[in-house]
Amino acid sequence: MSVDADTSVAGPTTVTPTSPQVPSRFSSWSEIVVLYAISIFGALAISALLVTVTGGEWRSVFSALLDGSLLAPGRWGTTIGSATPLLLVALGTIVNAKAGYVNIGQEGQLLIGGGAAAFVGVHLGGPGPIVFVAIVLAGIVGGALWAGIAAGLRNWRGVPEVLTTLLLVSVASQVIGLGFRSESFLLAPITEGSGTQVSQTLQMPDGVRIPRITIFGNEFPVSVFAAVVFAALLALVLTRTVVGFRLRMLGANARTAMRSGVDSVRVGSAAMLISGGFAGLAGTVMLLGGDFGGYRFSPGFSINFGWTGLLVALVARERALAAVAVSFVFASLMTGSGFLAATGVERRITDVVQALLVLALLIPPAVLFVRTRRRAAAAREART
Amino acid sequence: MEPLVTTTSSAATPVADEAVRLERVTKRYGAVVACDAVDLTLRRGAIHGVLGENGAGKSTLMKILIGLVTPDGGRVHIHGQQCDIDDPATAAKLGIGMVHQHFSLVDPLTVWENVALGEEARLRPAQVRTRVAEISEKYGLGIDPDATVGDLTPGLRQRVEIIKCLRRDPSIVIFDEPTSVLTPEESAQLFTTLRRVVADEGRAVALVSHKLDEVLHATDEITIMRSGRVVDRTPTAGTTPSDLAKAMVGRSVSLRSERAAFGAVAATDTVTLEEVAAPDGPVVLTVTESRLRGRDGDIKLDGLSVRVRAGEILGVAGVEGNGQDELVEVLSSLARLDSGEVTVSGSPVVTGRAGAMAAAGVAVIPADRHDSGVVLDMSIAENLVLVEPSQVAARGLMDPGRMRAHATRLIDEYEIACPGPDAPMWSLSGGNQQRVVLARELSCEPVVLVAAQPTRGLDVGAIEFMGSQIRAAAERGVAVLLISSELEELLELSHRIIVLSDGQIAGEMQRDEVDMDRLGLLMGGSAA
Repeated sequence: MSVDADTSVAGPTTVTPTSPQVPSRFSSWSEIVVLYAISIFGALAISALLVTVTGGEWRSVFSALLDGSLLAPGRWGTTIGSATPLLLVALGTIVNAKAGYVNIGQEGQLLIGGGAAAFVGVHLGGPGPIVFVAIVLAGIVGGALWAGIAAGLRNWRGVPEVLTTLLLVSVASQVIGLGFRSESFLLAPITEGSGTQVSQTLQMPDGVRIPRITIFGNEFPVSVFAAVVFAALLALVLTRTVVGFRLRMLGANARTAMRSGVDSVRVGSAAMLISGGFAGLAGTVMLLGGDFGGYRFSPGFSINFGWTGLLVALVARERALAAVAVSFVFASLMTGSGFLAATGVERRITDVVQALLVLALLIPPAVLFVRTRRRAAAAREART
Repeated sequence: MEPLVTTTSSAATPVADEAVRLERVTKRYGAVVACDAVDLTLRRGAIHGVLGENGAGKSTLMKILIGLVTPDGGRVHIHGQQCDIDDPATAAKLGIGMVHQHFSLVDPLTVWENVALGEEARLRPAQVRTRVAEISEKYGLGIDPDATVGDLTPGLRQRVEIIKCLRRDPSIVIFDEPTSVLTPEESAQLFTTLRRVVADEGRAVALVSHKLDEVLHATDEITIMRSGRVVDRTPTAGTTPSDLAKAMVGRSVSLRSERAAFGAVAATDTVTLEEVAAPDGPVVLTVTESRLRGRDGDIKLDGLSVRVRAGEILGVAGVEGNGQDELVEVLSSLARLDSGEVTVSGSPVVTGRAGAMAAAGVAVIPADRHDSGVVLDMSIAENLVLVEPSQVAARGLMDPGRMRAHATRLIDEYEIACPGPDAPMWSLSGGNQQRVVLARELSCEPVVLVAAQPTRGLDVGAIEFMGSQIRAAAERGVAVLLISSELEELLELSHRIIVLSDGQIAGEMQRDEVDMDRLGLLMGGSAA
């Protein structure tokens, strides 16, 4: 094997016989399309088989999924409403992943962000726009601080952030639970007439709610536009700016980055704070957007949006613009399930169908990831 | 495997009390021949020293013996039987045991627990404990089976390793660089033990080392390896340190012929040593009284001071692991000094602060480019601007056109063979990756260049290119610190050579007064 032999006589930019085929950093599109086609078709086939075997009608299951997410009147508006927070969580995840930091605690950061936003919304009076800004800031800061705990522990004592972010999810729900113990924090006071006190906040006042618009009978909050703009900005920052370049450098080789002037503590912590901030913002737009909980915050408010947003980032393979589309697909799966009950197919079976579809979305990026790693590792192996 | 023709070399001829006989054992890694037709015989009741520099092939040879590496050619005879040692289990069955250079002990466990680890049979604590105590007493190791390994000194830990090895009662014992972590006193005790193991029980022992004095003191016969080949084989009695040093680092060469042979100097032979005398420019890089402890608490830099003048190439010789890596890490802003100071062009530079050294004008070609020289998952163009991305950016926005133009220019100038500036770094061969590093570091117009093992793994043409680039940088007035385990390279390029040993300077010499014997002795850790 003579891969190592360097041909110094070969002129510049010539491809030496030992050089591999012109390598692209991106797998070709056709490859990706084929992978997705295979895995989604596989998932559909297995699902159809499963539904049929258990005595259901597979056509009705699939058409319910499609109706619920897109086809029935007004449903794609609902889907957009769900896609928005998913996208925001995914964007944050992309930031920390690019910096080489792991954050899998978005669920907790989203909850804390939403809680902080609700707290400000309930207790701060004043002109709508000012309160609105304060609520959004509170949401972002809440999520950022929650992720910041993990970043701080990593930098202070080397505690792996993969553990801390995850464990802080449970802590977050305990903290929120505590907040609902008292009316001076989150709990809504008992109103005359209703005997029982429910664990939820007061409604956010009219003046701070995110405006909703209606297009072709589909209604959704305008926050989706902001989220898409954020996605475009993030894509630009990561690929075209010095800041993004240094962030990626840190994620790809921390020691080379340090030698080149990237302070891993500072940049990495910033990435974690931004990531948590996005999750907190997601919680805030859920609270103020109107699709979730009727402008009220409650202990179970996050309804797995943190986890799902994490999956969106994975499937989008850490690309901000791809995350826009992927978040819509995942939101479709969520909203589509709303119509499944009407098919008469058992809930347990339809849950499996949904899980299979999620899995089908995750397999191609996993395959691509593993293959890129192997290829790079093989190239490295051949050279040492 | 086609049996090779047996040569009538003395070592390959069977002798009465032989335990191990290697015949023309060969191992290649790609283009590199780690072991080139090596013959070696170990006799029962004798300690055989295997001496050589790092990379001479000693470790590969021993790994072949214990089944970690499969040879490409040659034959292995154990107690007169030809064997194929495919894996460590086979080696263990044949009675071959090894005491490794790096401890493989579990700190929180006790001594006997560590000894029992990896045993396949049922665990019998009482039995293991008794056996450990027996061995400890028999060889005077003074090890308490119930002591916690984490509390032991390096010397005692090594004895635990020895017990682990002896517990299986091997007839052939290999010690791989056993004293690298020991104090002189601990080494002396170790060799006393070793004598006992050999003399009383007729075991065959191989002692692998690069330290001249310990090989001289502890062995009966010596095999000296260099570049994968056996260069000398001698009884220990009747040899001298200087003979060994000469054999280990190469023949006792005249400087000029070495340089001409290396192809770096025109063969006209008109270059005289006066002409390459050290320049007397201003001192650009100073490292003063630097002290640094490694993560394991070992002292890595022990009051080391270095001064390099503008235009000077200071060669740093020494066996690897004597502080070179740490010195480079400090100058790469990857490690912070515990005490001491680094100045560049007269101004102090904070150590351990990200990018501080690079900003002060210290360019680095690291020994392991994958560790701190390149980002494999980024493109060539990106790798060429890692240190100063702002040179292809305006107001924080990177300009892809300028980045590509910058890359194209450097690819041209440094003759980097690649499909184009956008190809990922990992697709390049090692030599071309090294050119990317060189191109980036030199294009930042540094005042100091630190080159650590810059030509390791490169072929002749690339080595020559690297050498001429380093020399050209020095001629432009860059202060160059050249760290290398290749003596030829140091002799060819440096104006002055220092030898590092245990994080200190063991000796210093101008190029025109280099004495190979003395250099070898200094590197081998012998006082000279």
